[in-house]
Amino acid sequence: MININSLSKEYVMGDNKLLALDKIDLSINEGDFVSIMGSSGSGKSTLMNIIGCLDVPSSGQYHFRNNNVSTLNSNKLAELRNKDIGFVFQNFNLLPRLNATENVVLPLLYSGKNLKERNKLALEALESVGLKDRVHHRPNQLSGGQQQRVSIARAIAGSPKLILADEPTGALDSKTGLEIMKILNDLNAKGITIVLVTHEDDIANYGSRIIKMKDGRILEDRKNVNN
Amino acid sequence: MSITDLIYLSQKSLRSNILRSILTSLGIIIGVSSVITMISIGSGARIEVEQQIERFGSNNLIVRSQSSSNRGVSMGVNSVNTLTLKDMEALKEELPAIKAIAPRVSLSTQIIANGNNWLATVTGTTNDYFDLGNWKFENGRSFEEEELDSGSRVAIIGKTVQKNLFDTDNPIDEVIRINKVPFTVIGLLDAKGGTAWADLDDTIIVPLKTAKQRLVAKKFPGDQIRSMTINVRSSELLFKTEKDVDTVMRKLHKISANGNPDFVIRNYAQFLNARQESSRVMSILLATVAGISLIVGGIGIMNIMLVTVTERTKEIGVCMSVGAKKRDILLQFLIESLMISLIGGLIGIALGLGVIFGVSEYFKWKMSLDYMSIVLSFVFSSSIGIIFGFYPARKAANLNPIDALRYE
Repeated sequence: MININSLSKEYVMGDNKLLALDKIDLSINEGDFVSIMGSSGSGKSTLMNIIGCLDVPSSGQYHFRNNNVSTLNSNKLAELRNKDIGFVFQNFNLLPRLNATENVVLPLLYSGKNLKERNKLALEALESVGLKDRVHHRPNQLSGGQQQRVSIARAIAGSPKLILADEPTGALDSKTGLEIMKILNDLNAKGITIVLVTHEDDIANYGSRIIKMKDGRILEDRKNVNN
Repeated sequence: MSITDLIYLSQKSLRSNILRSILTSLGIIIGVSSVITMISIGSGARIEVEQQIERFGSNNLIVRSQSSSNRGVSMGVNSVNTLTLKDMEALKEELPAIKAIAPRVSLSTQIIANGNNWLATVTGTTNDYFDLGNWKFENGRSFEEEELDSGSRVAIIGKTVQKNLFDTDNPIDEVIRINKVPFTVIGLLDAKGGTAWADLDDTIIVPLKTAKQRLVAKKFPGDQIRSMTINVRSSELLFKTEKDVDTVMRKLHKISANGNPDFVIRNYAQFLNARQESSRVMSILLATVAGISLIVGGIGIMNIMLVTVTERTKEIGVCMSVGAKKRDILLQFLIESLMISLIGGLIGIALGLGVIFGVSEYFKWKMSLDYMSIVLSFVFSSSIGIIFGFYPARKAANLNPIDALRYE
């Protein structure tokens, strides 16, 4: 599903060049649950942004489901993010003016689904994360765990093949964090590929494969036997 | 993404900042209301001038008696009649630019007919009076030559007089008593309607000679008359003729060029020109205000949209992460600025209508609401919204998704 060959990402800050990713090779298969670990500045977020088609590499190849991502224009990238990829962020990133349903509907709006279909899909997604009775609440009327569940519902509403979760439990207490991880685990069990970025060992442990990064390189890439 | 969805999202964000949205559209509000007021003042003035010409006839001068002021004290309008039929004949002879002159004597008196009682203005004049004043006959006829010469007791009445004496009955061949003298009605004039100061249809017209002999013998002895309406051959000659009439009249009345005249010349064209000129100046003023406020309003919209884009950078990043294309972001912000300017336009139209209503009530100015001006206002305000909203919207659309998402 994901094939990365000798991929580098360079940031220019004034006179300094910062090599965020240094000739990474990585492939992820459909149905994998991959945890990417590393301290801040290790390049794990940059890698995830490139996998999520939010950012483009400076050099190297990235193929996502037979698309050569490096050659795609911004419209094609937006389409990929819309149809095949779902994002779950550390701080939820919900739109404050919209209620839970409207937030979940957002990606379906951009994919041009009609009103009836997208409301149906949004309600199904909210139901699957256990927020059936919170559909008209706005983000500021929901707890952190509930907000994160809305953002998961938003990520899965368009039935993507891949979910990218960037520190999904970082802003939550450990009990709520475990609930969120259970939801992600269930989604993986249904066949959705999950790439998780975290720096907590017990969260990374949910993955079937753990990748450790440092200074823009992959330090370690192993199957997780505990899982 | 469909337009209705875009509108839905836009109104959500506008409503979360309702005060700001309305303040932003203030420039548009003032601009649009000025446009509407300007246009209706202009077309109102045009219509009024056309109506006045229709009522009073075009190319007319009116010469009226005026008591020459005595050591600075005016002796009052009715105190003396200084015009005579000789003046009239002399003017006709001396000035070839004059096509016709209708003399006039008048009195206000009681009319009795059909058991009814009415106070009306009676005018003694000749047939020229009807042509010059644009009078038309609803029924009956004007005076015969013989009636004018012999001083026959015949009268032509206006609509208001008919209504008060005969209701809707045909007044032709009925007898009315003017100042106790019986007259036979031979004609009924078409209605002209009222002006701000007089009901033009409250009139009775009799032959000049009859009036002078039987009604106003004391008031207008000899060949004295109250006033005369002079019809000039063409509008280009109007102002020159006005001067010539003044010169000739001064010569006839032996008044020096800078002495106080015992007559006054009224020029309707002058009055109408002044009216048109003042509304033209008003229109130019309003057009300037409109232009400036529409541009300032547009800049205001651009300014607030730039602020909005900056405030919502992270939100734009979120939308992009879930699949918004550049075009979606561009359209959403364009529609937001369009909605601000259209709201401004709507409020401006309402305000403009209020001003039009207020001015026409208060100043008695004729204002005509032109529906084109409303269409024009919509076009104006929406183009302002799109033109000035484009730069901020493009700025939003060109954001890099990852930078936008990371923006705090």
